Amino acid sequence: MIWKLRPLAGCLAFVCLCASAAADATPLTPAEMAAAARTDGISIPMPGEFMAALNKLGKIDWAAKFRLPIGTNYTSRPQMALNLGGLIADGYIAVEAQDAPQVKNIGRDVISLAAALGVSKEVTKRSSSIETFAEKGQWDQLKEELEATQNEVKQAMIDAKDQDLVTLVSVGGWLRGMDVISGQIAAHYTELGGKLLRQPGIIEFLNEHLDKLQDKARDDASVRMVRKKMADIQKLVAFPLDKAATAEQVKELNVITAEALREISKKQK
Amino acid sequence: MKRLFLTLVCAFFAATGLHAVPDGEVAARRTALDIAGAFTNDGFKLRDGNWSGSFAPGKPGIVQVNLYAGNQYWFTLGATSPAKKVHVTIYDETGKPVKTDEYQDTSVAAAGFSPDNSGTFYVEVEIVEGAAADFCLVYSYK
Repeated sequence: MIWKLRPLAGCLAFVCLCASAAADATPLTPAEMAAAARTDGISIPMPGEFMAALNKLGKIDWAAKFRLPIGTNYTSRPQMALNLGGLIADGYIAVEAQDAPQVKNIGRDVISLAAALGVSKEVTKRSSSIETFAEKGQWDQLKEELEATQNEVKQAMIDAKDQDLVTLVSVGGWLRGMDVISGQIAAHYTELGGKLLRQPGIIEFLNEHLDKLQDKARDDASVRMVRKKMADIQKLVAFPLDKAATAEQVKELNVITAEALREISKKQK
Repeated sequence: MKRLFLTLVCAFFAATGLHAVPDGEVAARRTALDIAGAFTNDGFKLRDGNWSGSFAPGKPGIVQVNLYAGNQYWFTLGATSPAKKVHVTIYDETGKPVKTDEYQDTSVAAAGFSPDNSGTFYVEVEIVEGAAADFCLVYSYK
């Protein structure tokens, strides 16, 4: 049934488009905006969206954005979750670079960390399709598979009543994405690029969730460091609507995110 | 393209089986995915994620999203049959409605636009005609 309707839906969607009279709608009140739902599943963009926007600024050498492999044998679960998020973001970078061996290497590291966190089933069942897509150069499908894997890992954590880990995976992934993108914009600064870094809603959402972590996670050394860095980052990405981050601010942002990632990937003593 | 759609459907059924999503939300999600799948023909990527729930006439739902300047977006709403006509409205971070392209067909509606600035936006889903229903909102980008 769905297959039969699909072509029809496709036609309808593009034939029946009409310009909206947006002015007809009544503006939202501050109370309505404050009460709006916010969920990790739709309010926080996937790394691919950020990269799609960045790709529009010019050709990017994504392979130059790879970082040295990080460890996968941490003893702290919060630190594992932060690094898992960063590794998944590395996967998106490898896909943008269309580098199959790198995708596979990162995939193996993701499985190692996911296993340590008890959510390897969700990753393992997708790993063969990820490898197949990489070998065949089916990059669009690979991006979808990565998104699905990321969401399934988070869902497994939610099912295990471990919301703290979900927050930390999101934060780790966002930091790695911000590291790469701020680095790119810092090296090739334009005002348009500076505007792309404006993310007040995301940083607020992530910091609120970091504040709600349970004591055990919040006391972890890597989490304490990340909370401090995220507070610094908030000042740099929550600028007014009509402004752009300056070249200096972008560089500062890149330094902070790079430092945070270095600290996260260090083994705790 | 077939593979993408099949993957979406499989992922959707797997997810619903595992996480006990109410039947109404399952149906609404199927409706939304069917229309959103059409946007992939034009190069849009469907984000793996959704916002589901129930709404009633005069009681719209509002969700916050964070979007990037330069990207194009389509927000697609599917609802169950008690809703006879639904609508999607997008507002900027000051609460001002944003001009969008629209698609509307009974219990399905979509709104598309390309933000001038990166930042926070609000998506409102509402029943224009009909009774209380379940809904599902998904979005696509390119």
